[in-house]
Amino acid sequence: MGNSFFQSIRALFRLKPAQKLNRDYLISLLCAVLLAFLVGAGIMLLCGFDPIQCYGALFEGALGKPRAIGNTLAKAMTLALCGLAMSVAAKAGIFNVGGEGQLFMGALAAAVVGAQVKGAPAWVVVILALLASLLAGGLYAWVPGAMKVYWKVDEVITTIMLNSVATFFCSYMANGPLKTTEKGIASGTASIMKEAGFAKLIPLSNLTTAILFAAAAALFTWYLMTRSSVGFEMKLTGDNDRFAAYGGISAKKLMLWSMVLSGAICGLTGMLEVFGLHKRFMTTLSNEFYFDGMLVAMIMRYQPFGVILMSLFFAVLNIGSRSMELSAGISSEVILIVQSIIIFFMAAEGGIRTALQNRSAIRKARREAKAKEAGV
Amino acid sequence: MEKKEIVRFSHVTKRYPGTLANDDVSLSVQRGEVFALVGENGAGKSTLMNLLYGMQPVTMGEIFIDGEKIGPQHCPEKAMEMGVSMVHQHFKLVPSFTVAQNILLGHEPKKKLSYDFQAVRDAVRKLSETYGLYVNPDDVTGELSVGLQQRVEILKALRTGAKVLILDEPTAVLTPQETDDLFRVIRRIVEEQGMTVILITHRLPEVMQVSDRVGVMKRGRLVKVMETAQTSEREIASLMVGRDVIFDELRQQHELGEEKLRVEELCALNDRMLPALRQVSLSVHAGEIVGVCGVEGNGQTELAECIMGMRPQTGGRVLLCGEDVSRKTPGEIRSRGVSFIPEDRMTTGVDGKASVAENLLVGKQHRPEFSLLGGLHLRRHRVKQYAAEQAEKFDIRMASVDDPVSSLSGGNMQKVVIAREFSFDSPVLVISQPTRGVDIGAIEFIHERIMQKRNEGCAILLISADLDELFRLSDRLVTLYEGQITGSFQTEAITREEIGYYMTGGGKDELAENAAKEEMRHG
Repeated sequence: MGNSFFQSIRALFRLKPAQKLNRDYLISLLCAVLLAFLVGAGIMLLCGFDPIQCYGALFEGALGKPRAIGNTLAKAMTLALCGLAMSVAAKAGIFNVGGEGQLFMGALAAAVVGAQVKGAPAWVVVILALLASLLAGGLYAWVPGAMKVYWKVDEVITTIMLNSVATFFCSYMANGPLKTTEKGIASGTASIMKEAGFAKLIPLSNLTTAILFAAAAALFTWYLMTRSSVGFEMKLTGDNDRFAAYGGISAKKLMLWSMVLSGAICGLTGMLEVFGLHKRFMTTLSNEFYFDGMLVAMIMRYQPFGVILMSLFFAVLNIGSRSMELSAGISSEVILIVQSIIIFFMAAEGGIRTALQNRSAIRKARREAKAKEAGV
Repeated sequence: MEKKEIVRFSHVTKRYPGTLANDDVSLSVQRGEVFALVGENGAGKSTLMNLLYGMQPVTMGEIFIDGEKIGPQHCPEKAMEMGVSMVHQHFKLVPSFTVAQNILLGHEPKKKLSYDFQAVRDAVRKLSETYGLYVNPDDVTGELSVGLQQRVEILKALRTGAKVLILDEPTAVLTPQETDDLFRVIRRIVEEQGMTVILITHRLPEVMQVSDRVGVMKRGRLVKVMETAQTSEREIASLMVGRDVIFDELRQQHELGEEKLRVEELCALNDRMLPALRQVSLSVHAGEIVGVCGVEGNGQTELAECIMGMRPQTGGRVLLCGEDVSRKTPGEIRSRGVSFIPEDRMTTGVDGKASVAENLLVGKQHRPEFSLLGGLHLRRHRVKQYAAEQAEKFDIRMASVDDPVSSLSGGNMQKVVIAREFSFDSPVLVISQPTRGVDIGAIEFIHERIMQKRNEGCAILLISADLDELFRLSDRLVTLYEGQITGSFQTEAITREEIGYYMTGGGKDELAENAAKEEMRHG
């Protein structure tokens, strides 16, 4: 999944963060979604499946049972946090492509704290792990951020590279020095204090009380980005850093702090995965979650509220596609095609719209010329 | 030997919507001469030459090249066929190509499917030798110095066998050494090849140095054509700036306050890392407007940016009410009471994508009346209210304060900048090109506001390319030429003609002489 997504990312970088989610854009988005579903239906027909049955199974699988809803929400939580992390940095004009690495570092830090701090009450462990994950993620983002701000090293490249560093480092730790002594765990650290793990909100689902932390983080991020003076400064920096500096804003500091905040949110996401789901650090903890979140953020032009909504939609597709595979028998890759087409259309949205507008303008001018001729 | 006419403009008029760029210009250029066309920014020099080169159609009148009238379908290709080539101020070269590839771009000698590299090189060598313009055909263009890149441009222009070469501000980007080289080349192609060179410039010493005849343009009209040998820099300068009378009812007489802004021997580099400011010293007192005159590109931009902390200094210092702010950031300088109206609205003065209200807010977003909890909450309704008040006060015309600033007209956008910068009540104002691209009504309004600030006791440094504006508003004038202050005058004690002389490099020698005398005396 990673590679094809990377290519989409390149296209999507051209979407500017400052553009608002105006009505036209939302209409285009709706059209893109519908078209993508149509294309998906075409593929299903070609393969000899009934699209209505397949899509029915998709939504049934994602929203049909409390357990399914729980799984969808849990997925949406991860996507939304990653998307918001991307948005916070992009708003200030710096692109954090290294969230995956920050997520891993945060998860590992949280797992270590969760396993090593003994004898403290559970809530203390949770808070300590929370702080550790924020710190680990933030610090890991500070490195490329500082390189970008002070030495003008392209952050897209450094963050991508640091992803590999983080995943391999964590993998080494989980297979080496920190490997659990428990049997049957392939590559993971010792499990965290049992009482400290988040409780399940819906039985048998992945939904835990972690979602409350996620909601708080999302609320904070949304508020910071859209309602605060700091968010206002971030916006100016992202739009035109020369103007921001001229206006007396320390654009460099602001960029760096946005990057750190972005990393901290990723770290938190990792911690929530560890304390909510796996109860230990595992190398299979994240399957490029951050890249999915990043795409959501880009499609919604880094608008926090839109990112949260879109995360829900993508979570439905993601969770639903698995059960669609089981019940309707069609491969879940079809849904990946649908996702990719949505992204494709949204990346092309600007160009397509201008082309259509130009064409209608030309037609109108021709019609008027004709009418004039006829009149003369 | 009788000179023969090669280019003739006959009652040429060029009208753009709203402006008359060239107004009934008649001019004849002779074969084998260097003709200099001088004038202030926007006097219509480049427009006239663009007409000749076919970049723009003529509105009225006729142009003849070598006796042949140019047709309505005139274009650069046709102009080149007729023997006219032009080298623009901004080079049109492919940086990754070699010199030879650039020069023969579009005319490569073919060799089966590929083209003949050796033939290209030979052709370029031959061209180089013919004109005495030495370049290495295999160098990569992007790695050459600007002077050499210009040489490549000239060779490219000469490739088609041009008889007339137009150079638009060729020395603007060159170092003095490169300028001398260029003039040597110009003299050489004129004397040895019998070519005609038309030089667009506003540097008078260069005109005196290289041209045979000079034509002066002002506000689209060709004021006078003279033999260079029979005129002087002073005469040209006075023709360039004209003699308009302006009525001055804005200024109030009052005592000067204490010194607020002091610049001491300031040095700085421009974006190309060449010296842009050479030991500039000036001071501005409270209740005074000091105008900086000069042809654009002589260090004005760098001066303003250095004072505001937006450009690193390489020497000297800036004192604000006695405090050294040379190493401070723009934010720190602002907080010490300096406001700045930058010359370029779109890239520096506003955030085009942000709304009018947001643009007006910048700099005040942490003030308690607009923010709570240390910047965590922005009181948006108050911001809107404030923006509406400011818009009213400064007569900013727009549909709503939520509209993006980029949707406003130039004049209204400038009013947004001025409203914001004037609202800080800073004792020091640095104002750069306040009325560029602004309609006349808004100019009057902006001038009044600036004068009002002066009368209130602000210290104002006014940088402008518009002499009328400077004479109207300033108490004192300084002239900036090639990054040096060449003169400092009380506005009443100097005429426009004299200022024109100093801002085109006239006073430089005197300055050097005085400095030398001074040294002798002390030595």
